[in-house]
Amino acid sequence: MIVATLKEIDEIRKMIDRYDSVLVVGCDSCVAECAAGGSRETMLLTAALKLSYLKDHKNPTITEAVLDRQCVDDFIDQIADQAPEHDAILSLGCGAGVQALARVYRDKPIIPALNTLFIGETVSRGVWQENCLGCGNCKLGYFGAVCPVTRCSKKLMNGPCGGSKGGRCEVNPEIACGWDMIIRRLDALGELDRLTEYVPPCDWSTSHSGGPRKVIREDQQP
Amino acid sequence: MEGKPVKIVVYHCKNLRLFKDGEQKVFNRKWPGLSLVSIPCSGKVEAHHLLKTLAGGAQGVLILACAESACQYLEGSARSRKRVDYAGQWLQKVGISPERLDFVRVPPMDRVALENLLREFTSKIQSLEVIPAIAKA
Repeated sequence: MIVATLKEIDEIRKMIDRYDSVLVVGCDSCVAECAAGGSRETMLLTAALKLSYLKDHKNPTITEAVLDRQCVDDFIDQIADQAPEHDAILSLGCGAGVQALARVYRDKPIIPALNTLFIGETVSRGVWQENCLGCGNCKLGYFGAVCPVTRCSKKLMNGPCGGSKGGRCEVNPEIACGWDMIIRRLDALGELDRLTEYVPPCDWSTSHSGGPRKVIREDQQP
Repeated sequence: MEGKPVKIVVYHCKNLRLFKDGEQKVFNRKWPGLSLVSIPCSGKVEAHHLLKTLAGGAQGVLILACAESACQYLEGSARSRKRVDYAGQWLQKVGISPERLDFVRVPPMDRVALENLLREFTSKIQSLEVIPAIAKA
């Protein structure tokens, strides 16, 4: 899932202060799972904004709505009636959601309320961990399903750097050594032999460096 | 209650058994401005409920919970405490005193403790500047 965090309210206020009415739109997918932009957070931010304006003796119209997914047009349609009634939309979606809203509502300013951080997983309650960089060339099969591109601070593809201590990374002891995890996991699976194969350096041409990526599937198109 | 009545909302865990059937209404009459809301567990209250309550016109919100060890939902009381603290952080961010929220673990069926708490909380809220109400369009 996409992991994000809410922006500070001062930054949000600075961006929306110029509007008389704002539609706060949450997204009940990834950003709900990471407790940043789901129904609860949408209600929380709306109430916080109202209190913040009340304190300043201002009274803009702030309405809330939550979409099942902010990055799919079929779901964006759910706010088709509300959007025209507001001067701007404050999106609690990830960067993709914000841009999808902007594509659909061309005449409406779309303001992000979140900082989109990474692709990750919920490792425990209240803890989200980055574990995929979206490099476009997945080699997890070689590494016991532990990604060296994301989990190794130096992105090494053919073994540890030698700087880790007690399974902790020398870059930051709070980070578990990616290669320690790879070796332990492959050892437990009895598949350490996978590491005898040379893995070439990551091909970054499939990552962000070539500009925005696109997947086109004719079989999925109308 | 002394001073001008202020709107205060009290969320209380129903397992505290503070009121028998019909008693809540009678108690409410004694405390103008007070709204008592019985909830299945204090852990049911989340930060957005608290902020919404204040944005809706309440000047203070009190959450009454069971002792941590007595929580029938095991961790409801503990989680509630954290949520109230989190809501308090939000209040601070928007420049409103987090003292408007209070979380108290009270013994079950102790109406005397409740009245003392309410007196104390009400006088604290009365000493704070009033949050303006949302103007009607």
